[in-house]
Amino acid sequence: MKILSTILLAGAALAGGVAAATAADKTEISVSRFFGACEADYGNVTDVAKANGECGIITALINKFNADSPTTHVKVDIVEWPGYDQLTARIRSGEPPTISVMHEAVISDYSSRGLLEPLDKGFKAVGVDTADFTGAAKAGVTKDGQIYALPFDTHTWLWHVNLNLFKQAGLVDASGNAILPKSADELLAQAKQFKEKTGKPYFVSTLANEKAFYYRTFETLLYQQNSNFFADPTKISLVTPEAKTALTLLKTIFDKDYTTKNEDYAASVAGFSNGEGGVFICGTWLVNSYDEEAKKPGVALSNGYAVAPFPQLYPGSPKVWADGHSWVILKANLTDAQRKSAYEFLKFLWDNDFQWSRTGHLPTSQKILTSAEFMALPFRKVLSPLAQNGTALPAGVKRQFGAQDMEGEEIAAAMRGDKSIDDALASAQDRINTLLANAK
Amino acid sequence: MTATAAPATVSRPARTPGAHIGPDWRNGLFIVPFLIVYLGLLIYPLFWGMWISLQQYDMFDQSAIFAGFANFKRLMGDGIFLGTVRNTFLFVLMTVPAFVIIGLALALALNREGRTGATLRAVFFGASVLSVTIVTIIWKMMYLPGIGLISRALGVVGIAPIPFLTSQNMALPAIAATTVWWIIGLPMMLFLAALQQIPGELYEAAALDSAGRWRTLWSITLPSITRTLVVVVIYEIVAQFQLFGQTLLLTQGGPNNSSRSIVLFIYETGFRDWNLGYAAAASEILFLLMAVAAMVQYIASRRREA
Repeated sequence: MKILSTILLAGAALAGGVAAATAADKTEISVSRFFGACEADYGNVTDVAKANGECGIITALINKFNADSPTTHVKVDIVEWPGYDQLTARIRSGEPPTISVMHEAVISDYSSRGLLEPLDKGFKAVGVDTADFTGAAKAGVTKDGQIYALPFDTHTWLWHVNLNLFKQAGLVDASGNAILPKSADELLAQAKQFKEKTGKPYFVSTLANEKAFYYRTFETLLYQQNSNFFADPTKISLVTPEAKTALTLLKTIFDKDYTTKNEDYAASVAGFSNGEGGVFICGTWLVNSYDEEAKKPGVALSNGYAVAPFPQLYPGSPKVWADGHSWVILKANLTDAQRKSAYEFLKFLWDNDFQWSRTGHLPTSQKILTSAEFMALPFRKVLSPLAQNGTALPAGVKRQFGAQDMEGEEIAAAMRGDKSIDDALASAQDRINTLLANAK
Repeated sequence: MTATAAPATVSRPARTPGAHIGPDWRNGLFIVPFLIVYLGLLIYPLFWGMWISLQQYDMFDQSAIFAGFANFKRLMGDGIFLGTVRNTFLFVLMTVPAFVIIGLALALALNREGRTGATLRAVFFGASVLSVTIVTIIWKMMYLPGIGLISRALGVVGIAPIPFLTSQNMALPAIAATTVWWIIGLPMMLFLAALQQIPGELYEAAALDSAGRWRTLWSITLPSITRTLVVVVIYEIVAQFQLFGQTLLLTQGGPNNSSRSIVLFIYETGFRDWNLGYAAAASEILFLLMAVAAMVQYIASRRREA
């Protein structure tokens, strides 16, 4: 027995030593990301096909990379969304991560200050085909003629639909598909009918402790009216008839109780799952999760989930708010080995963009976007045009997150009746223009 | 054995040449480590912050354009900033009296020996060790209409859910209540420590004079803990002027700017908008407000003592 124990101990020590030596031989790079933490479920998963949702898929992807790469080990720093304050602090203190996830909307803030490495040459060297980037992706990561990030997805604003409640409300066609409104008036009529038939609000909305719903929906309604509210990237125009029309619609929905009113993001995501309302206006990232939920028996979404692009409520452009997740290499004193490892990781992510598109996000590779594999995923035929229609703010607009926060806050104030619509639009315009006037 | 030893002569040791009694500049070396930390981490940043507030200062390239008092002038016309000043004052007015009254009441109630007192002291102080993240998660679960604990409790007695965090009239009081629940342990402990310093003889004398509870509280307890009272008030004024985490995590300053604090404004301006000069100017105004408020309280208490 004693001999056996000794052998086992020696074996364990040897295995540990070998593992430590192997890890020590690899070049370590740090990767900062949001998307949440789910180590309990996916900490050891390396088969990416078995992972679901943003957190699960990115965790499994990095696990797989670490398991497969003979030269590189990725150390992950998980930050709270969106994480830019932390990133800014790390850059300012001289200790940036090697790679960070970054919304395309904020790339120019960092690239214009020389904080990001241009990636054109590196991509060419490792075989990332930039000609294969979708139009939206290429526009999102190209600043002043140079590519500063690996585009990972295009994400946009969708209508997640509870078909079971839509059936109850008499809002499905003969094939069982949801009948979605084609105008603002039709939307209000549907919402009234829905409430009368189901006793529930038409919309589940994230209206508490977050501003994203307000500005993303509002901007979509502006696009649909052909409003060019950022004709000059240094000035926004919100005191316009189109803005008033959009905000009036949102306020009417709120005033007539056609939406849940006090739910934060977590509560509204769960609320839609639990059948609290018919439509949840939220992003592409929930498609996979809700589709999985709908496969379970005995839940509110059982066999009753559908998703659609934001319906055309006004007779203008089909554009819809969009942004993209991308990966940047921060400028730092990287060694050649670290830089090589960084590009190796980016290439790996590019090669696995299909896996990421399973979340519901649209891929940034034209080949994947048009592939049979992608089109075979649920709802992708309906959603794929959004790769063209998804529209970000013009690249010349600085401090986009700050500007959209202000916009969202004012839209919320008007919706809730804390301010008149005219005051809110004037205030939003004034605050954003002051911000932009003082932005370097 | 009878012989007595001659008394020993005690002689002072000869002074070391060069040594002397009295002030010596070398004694000051003992405080050098403290001075370095104090100057480096407090005084230098304080004056640097003042300097930055007079500039248009970039976060990254550190390029700066001297702007004089332009940042301060702009702040005085900034409706959002003025709203944060109003919110912060209201918050201090809501919380500081609550800390004093509830903290003292708890201390008086729990100033006793035995397991029950010790357990309750630990319970009330327990919340103070939680991080702001945990506290706000707990209170979000309390406040959310429909699914929150308060909402459910009100529902039992037929009262409609109250949108604590999404109503511009309720958001700041809700954050104040959360803060009092979170921090009440510290003033309670300070009051307890002060109460335990009051000599028992004073209470015995009061009992002999047939003084009632209120009379004893008013004439013995409160005068005996005046210094602690002043400390608690000044400490809490300074601390509550720096409201940040609760409002960031519970309401993000909304709705309609009704719960945005000065520190949240500074944070957003500095870290989100990268406008360091403007953020530093707001910081200087906050510093001034805190200093004046604490000073007024201190002077008022000194006058009462006199």
